[in-house]
Amino acid sequence: MRTYFARIPQILIMCSMMMLIVCPFAICSNSAASGKNAQTECNIHKGTCSQKLGERTVALEISPRPVKAMADLTFRVTVSGPPLSGTPHIDLGMPGMEMGPNRVKMKKTGENTYTGNGVIVRCPSGKTTWRAAVTVPETGTAAFVFDVVY
Amino acid sequence: MWFTESIFPVFLATGFTVGFGHCIGMCGPIVISISLQLKDRPAFFPQLFYNLGRTVTYAILGGIMGATASFTRFAADVGGLQKGILVFAGILIILMGAGMTGWLPAGRIFKNAPPLAGFAVSAYKRMIAANRAILFLPMGMLLGLLPCGPVYTAMIAAARTGMDAGTTFSGMLAGAGVMACFGLGTIPALLLLSQVSHVKWLKHREVIYKIGGILMILVGVYFTWKGITY
Repeated sequence: MRTYFARIPQILIMCSMMMLIVCPFAICSNSAASGKNAQTECNIHKGTCSQKLGERTVALEISPRPVKAMADLTFRVTVSGPPLSGTPHIDLGMPGMEMGPNRVKMKKTGENTYTGNGVIVRCPSGKTTWRAAVTVPETGTAAFVFDVVY
Repeated sequence: MWFTESIFPVFLATGFTVGFGHCIGMCGPIVISISLQLKDRPAFFPQLFYNLGRTVTYAILGGIMGATASFTRFAADVGGLQKGILVFAGILIILMGAGMTGWLPAGRIFKNAPPLAGFAVSAYKRMIAANRAILFLPMGMLLGLLPCGPVYTAMIAAARTGMDAGTTFSGMLAGAGVMACFGLGTIPALLLLSQVSHVKWLKHREVIYKIGGILMILVGVYFTWKGITY
């Protein structure tokens, strides 16, 4: 009985080691699950996606289409309503996976229309679901979830 | 001054958080494999040099990004190379796992290997057998080329820093700085993992080596498959 108790720390460490070694599988299945929960809300390859944000409507368009990872992309954001007090920005990331800060800075190109350039990177896990969080000053953040082409 | 710009501490912090959240999962198997492979020998300095090697590669990549101020040009050029590195890492983990289980001693596997493979294995065996931790630096430099989402993100930031820089040289320095900060930030997580997974103080650790070896083979197969399909 005593021997069994003495072995508990070793068994725990062995289990931890196994968990850590199989982490790539765990991360991929976790991200896949997260991607499934964060359902793709619109087909960004077909055109503009839009969402209500308070009293305003935020529209996001990415070109060229189809939207590919590891390629130069142009992001265009149009916000309805009265003129904005500042410039929106877009934060790109993957649902359920930390990818580091990837912010698209925008420039005003028309009445409440802003354009910026950015790149969606490729994740070696093979997951293709990405999220573009459009932050509109003094209004809030609209998150667009969509699939990209690798 | 370039080193006081806020992007450097941001990417140092990014490396730190990504290290614990992402790198432990994706690069952890490589780090654990090295620790297990070292068995009774100290793992701290080999792992430190391995991680410094990765950081050196990141800084070089950052320098290229900053100097060219373009990420996508690089991505188009080195995609094939990264695919090869991923396959190489997978095969390396399989070999280390096979060595750990004792089923396939490295000498037997490569008895009839072609000259180039024989040379690579001989170099690897010497590296593992030698007590010079600095030999893990080139291994880290090579595996620093593994495809990785957060590394790509840091490279985009390095390229943007290059765009904002006045000259190509200052862009190169700034880009290298961003990526070096990112790489240094990832070290604590992987170094901590390497120390936890170095089980020389455990009794009956042969069982762990055996099971760890089998899991390493599975992970190596997964890495290789990912490399082929990347």
